[in-house]
Amino acid sequence: MRYRIERRPEPSALMRVAAPAIATLLTIIVGSVFFAVLGYDPLATLNAFFVEPVSSLNGLSELLLKASPLILIACGLAVGFRANVWNIGAEGQLIIGAIAACGVGLFYPDPESFLLLPLMLIAGAVAGMAWAAIPAFLRARMNTNEILVTLMLTYIATLLLSWLVHGPWRDPAGFNYPQTALLPGAAMFEPFDYSYRLNSSIFITVIAVVAMWLFADRSFLGYKLSVSGAAPLAARYAGFRESSAVWTGLLAGGAAAGLAGMAELSGPLGQLSPQISPGYGFAAIIVAFVGRLNAFGIVLGGLLLSLLFLGGEAVQMSLGLPSALTRIFQGILLFFLLAADFFIFYRLRRLAEHA
Amino acid sequence: MRDVTRREFLRYSGAGGVALGVGGLPGLAAAEEKLKIGVVYVSPIAEIGWTKQHSLGVEAIKAELGDKVEITVLDNIFMPQDAERVFRELAASGNKLIFGTSFSHGTPMQKVAPRFPETAFEHCSGIVHLANLGTFEAKYYEGTFVAGAAAGHMTKTGKIGFIGGFPIPDIVGPANALLLGAQSVKPEITCNAIFLNSWFDPGKEKEAANTLVSQGCDVICSMTDTPTGVQVAGEKGAWSIGYASDMSKFGSGKHLTAFMLDWSRDYVGAAKAVAAGTWKPEVRWDGLAAGVVKMAPYNEAIPADVREKLKQLETDIGSGKVHPYTGELKDQDGNVKVAAGSVLSDPDIRGMNWFVQGMIGNLG
Amino acid sequence: MAAKRSEGVGRGRAQPWQRMSSTAAATPPRLAPLASLGSLVDPPLKGEGFAGRGAPLVRGQEEARTQPMTPRLELRNISKRYPGVLANDDISLAIMPGEIHAVLGENGAGKSTLMKIIYGAAQADSGEIYCDGKLIQDHNPAVSRALGVEMVYQHFALFESVTVAENIALCLRGPFDRRALSSRIVELSQRYGMPIDPARKVHELSVGERQRVEIVRCLLQNPKLLILDEPTSVLTPQAVSKLFETLRQLAAEGCSILYISHKLDEVQQLCDSATVLRNGRVTGTAKPKETTSLELARMMVGSNLPHMNVTPSNLSDGPVLEVRDLSAESRSHHGVNLRDVSFEVFGGEIVGIAGVSGNGQAELISLLSGERTHKRVEAIRIGGKDAGRLHANARRRLGMTFVPEERLGRGAVPSHTLWENALLTGNRAGLVRSGFVDRGRAVAFAKNIIERFGVKANGPEAAAQSLSGGNLQKYIVGREIVLAPKLLLVSQPTWGVDVGAAAFIRQTLVDLSRAGAAVLVVSEELDELFEICDRLLVICQGRVSPPLMRAETNREEVGLLMTRLGTATSEKSGLALQD
Repeated sequence: MRYRIERRPEPSALMRVAAPAIATLLTIIVGSVFFAVLGYDPLATLNAFFVEPVSSLNGLSELLLKASPLILIACGLAVGFRANVWNIGAEGQLIIGAIAACGVGLFYPDPESFLLLPLMLIAGAVAGMAWAAIPAFLRARMNTNEILVTLMLTYIATLLLSWLVHGPWRDPAGFNYPQTALLPGAAMFEPFDYSYRLNSSIFITVIAVVAMWLFADRSFLGYKLSVSGAAPLAARYAGFRESSAVWTGLLAGGAAAGLAGMAELSGPLGQLSPQISPGYGFAAIIVAFVGRLNAFGIVLGGLLLSLLFLGGEAVQMSLGLPSALTRIFQGILLFFLLAADFFIFYRLRRLAEHA
Repeated sequence: MRDVTRREFLRYSGAGGVALGVGGLPGLAAAEEKLKIGVVYVSPIAEIGWTKQHSLGVEAIKAELGDKVEITVLDNIFMPQDAERVFRELAASGNKLIFGTSFSHGTPMQKVAPRFPETAFEHCSGIVHLANLGTFEAKYYEGTFVAGAAAGHMTKTGKIGFIGGFPIPDIVGPANALLLGAQSVKPEITCNAIFLNSWFDPGKEKEAANTLVSQGCDVICSMTDTPTGVQVAGEKGAWSIGYASDMSKFGSGKHLTAFMLDWSRDYVGAAKAVAAGTWKPEVRWDGLAAGVVKMAPYNEAIPADVREKLKQLETDIGSGKVHPYTGELKDQDGNVKVAAGSVLSDPDIRGMNWFVQGMIGNLG
Repeated sequence: MAAKRSEGVGRGRAQPWQRMSSTAAATPPRLAPLASLGSLVDPPLKGEGFAGRGAPLVRGQEEARTQPMTPRLELRNISKRYPGVLANDDISLAIMPGEIHAVLGENGAGKSTLMKIIYGAAQADSGEIYCDGKLIQDHNPAVSRALGVEMVYQHFALFESVTVAENIALCLRGPFDRRALSSRIVELSQRYGMPIDPARKVHELSVGERQRVEIVRCLLQNPKLLILDEPTSVLTPQAVSKLFETLRQLAAEGCSILYISHKLDEVQQLCDSATVLRNGRVTGTAKPKETTSLELARMMVGSNLPHMNVTPSNLSDGPVLEVRDLSAESRSHHGVNLRDVSFEVFGGEIVGIAGVSGNGQAELISLLSGERTHKRVEAIRIGGKDAGRLHANARRRLGMTFVPEERLGRGAVPSHTLWENALLTGNRAGLVRSGFVDRGRAVAFAKNIIERFGVKANGPEAAAQSLSGGNLQKYIVGREIVLAPKLLLVSQPTWGVDVGAAAFIRQTLVDLSRAGAAVLVVSEELDELFEICDRLLVICQGRVSPPLMRAETNREEVGLLMTRLGTATSEKSGLALQD
């Protein structure tokens, strides 16, 4: 008996709803077997993974704190992804955004100024966009591959950061360790409550999600971008410029990543060191796709990814699972999620003998 | 480097100056419950290397205190954002003693510690300490000085090579001491230094080791978190010096020695002190004398009399008879940094960002 | 299997062709008729050729029909169900040796499914197939070929970058001798009046020539039954009549031909008998030459055909579209460069551009639509304004709309809903307000098109890709017409559209022009152009002929222009059509 995977004539509405449920169910089954075989109580492990991290206010605060940059960046990236503009260098744009914001925070003449934070915000966004403008220019003018250019620019951004914190921006009172001085209080986002880390930068993400929804689902520009992505020939037929899709897509991603870098700096970090992002720029790509490039899907995707991360720590803490095992489990869930989504558009069919 | 006196150093360290004078935290000795201890590693535990040595410290607590303690371990926590959450979580869930094991854990610990004044925080590689945040660190340079002396005896080309993770004082200082140790045998020896800007990048490290060998270095010392430098040196027929763990099995018989780290004293000491209610934040910075730094067994290829001399050198450094950074010391440009007869101050050692004369290479 | 082959074939087809000598003198006697160069001059000896094959003597179609004999192929009660569709419902038919049998039906009537079942590429759910009176079991294409059944597909499966001979060799089993194969291709193709050069690369060939390669490939297998699926859709009238000669010649030699088409006139010209399909069922059988078109059409469509109403045109004072000395390099590797194209289209008229596909139509239409711009602004003027450098959107502002040849992916975004696709070009019609899409208006706009143009769709929320080709075409034509254009460009307006919808679309175009719009139609279907156009232009090798008044020209003149225009300057790339 042979089977073939074929495209559905129309995406399955049922699968659209059922896919996440199926994925969750399969993950729970496979995960339980996996944990049981390794000698851990599956129920306790799953509980530690998914329930414990969010069963306290601090847990929720941490969940949002971690999800916020992921969601923010994913919203920006999804704008481009919808137009088949593949910005995979959000990590670099985040770093550049953080560098620019830090530059303002460190060198603005009045460290007490209430203007400091807004200026850093603008600096972060503009720098992220400027970094993304390089691949946009190259793609629009010279048709270079933005995947390669954005990725390469990430390495350049990392090295630039490394140079700054090892060299000119190194904290003069920091015994030559590669980090900048801590930013002044006016350069930091106020936490809602000093017992928790969640701070007002979450509003940037909220605004970004709403903006992304309005842009993608309601605006004509967003519509044009989706046409460019789904059918480039139709975009040309309709007279939508390809270069505008390239620019919009990359700049949106760059701005979001730059803002996320700034928010990390003025939130949990407070200073620059050679490594400032735990791969948010790359994880956001997963979030964008888990969220099906849709604003609210991205919110769910970001929360899920961040929950997986916190859950990974929780099982280490409460059950002593090594981090490698938690990563395998995270991989299982993501695999099932994306695999189940595949069946929205495709189906498995049994083949007749001779066909 | 500006002139930082020890007092300034401590003042910089925030509340430490005050805290040192204050009494210990409320004791737990009377309590029947187990002492909960949290440990955060920067990387997964490997066969050898930095985190492995820390895990041996944790094992030592278990061996010493057995079921009086309950230890929670988290590995692979590198980023400051994540570290802060983990420290907070560990403190909130009742751990009374928490260890951070990486420089990158410093800022997060400084943020979390004031919120949990009842909890003792111990930070390895830290430079800042607070009322309930102590630091411990090893005098790597004592080990590299001895290893350098071994290299000085064994080198034929008069060139030794050094591979470092990052050009930070914790690495630059030991690199200098390596050369000074070698020069104590033969003053004309030079040392080529390469920094990888990574603790763990076997590919780049291999390249670096090859480069050093091709530059004529016949002793390679690698201060990273992999045995690659030792391996490549062995394959190329050069002597090698290991770091953190005994790496002799990677050296194809060319492993001269290693300056090993043993944190058991710090781990066990802190645990016992917290249990007894006598814990105070300290700045512990120990070397050969305390056994935090240990030399791995010397290679049999080193003549027996030299081995004896090296062992004597260990003793002399431990007793303070010999100080690796004894003047006159000049920097790469020939400026006198330490006058003849005097020694470099501790804060200057911890902030060392210059190469001594004879070092070849740039600091980032 | 092997046994079947030798018994069914008995004329050397089991003999690997590669063992044949390249010289006529050394040819084994059995193969003489096919290999003889003499056939170039005279029609081949009809009977003798098959004497050695053990097949009955056939002298022509008349005899084939009158003599009682075993059918070459017989279908009994074939049914095939696909999910949601009964593609073939209890179909029976029989084809005699030497008979040309038409399967006539609209798109979607089940013709292609039936052909696949006959060829063995698909399996019937029920029913039987007999070849020369023997039941075929375990049917698949290999079995068909062993039985001497060959198929020429509508869309050719040729490798563009290799030569004709190599393409053909790919279909043969075992080792081959390139020189022998080449000379054999030359012989066969000449003998059947469709010369091709085996050394040419396929990408250099016109569509008509590619079809010849396919046919020659089949003929090399010495078929007993040749299936052709819509073979004329890409051919000039001259090429069509040439093909018919070839097919008649083959039939006269005893080869049965199954001819699938939806074109009544061709079937009437060529075929001895016809089976008409509608909605997967046989709705009638006929002898086309003795049946009127109207009767055949009724069997096909199931109702009376709508009547075209073409009133005299009333031209605008100045041209709406002016093209002056437009030359442009093609951007695709195998495309055609446009050379000095000049013409005008006035308001109130329909101008048609006739031509075999691949002669510069794609380049011309993309330059006119603004999908491609031209550096000489005055080369294209729309409504009196220079438009050469304007992008598609700017040209639309001048009152242009455009129906492209490709519906999915160009004229519409496949995954988008119909109302979203309304926005594609309808965004100027008040569907976008201050940068935001007015969803309500867009849905109403789409609904209006669906109702006015009788689009069969599941409402404005249906995805474009869920519509049948004809319905989507109606939707796109509707969208472009609802925008009340001053100039409408249409490329292949009825390609793949059923008879009813095609008539409707044509009538709509006529009505639009009579309301004052200028309409330019690019089509490969001459009948269509003759039906609706006021003037005709012919494009060939990137050159466009001077206009011909429809009333003053005829198919022959247009057909000649379709092949001759460019050959004066480019012998190599011209259609190697010999007439």
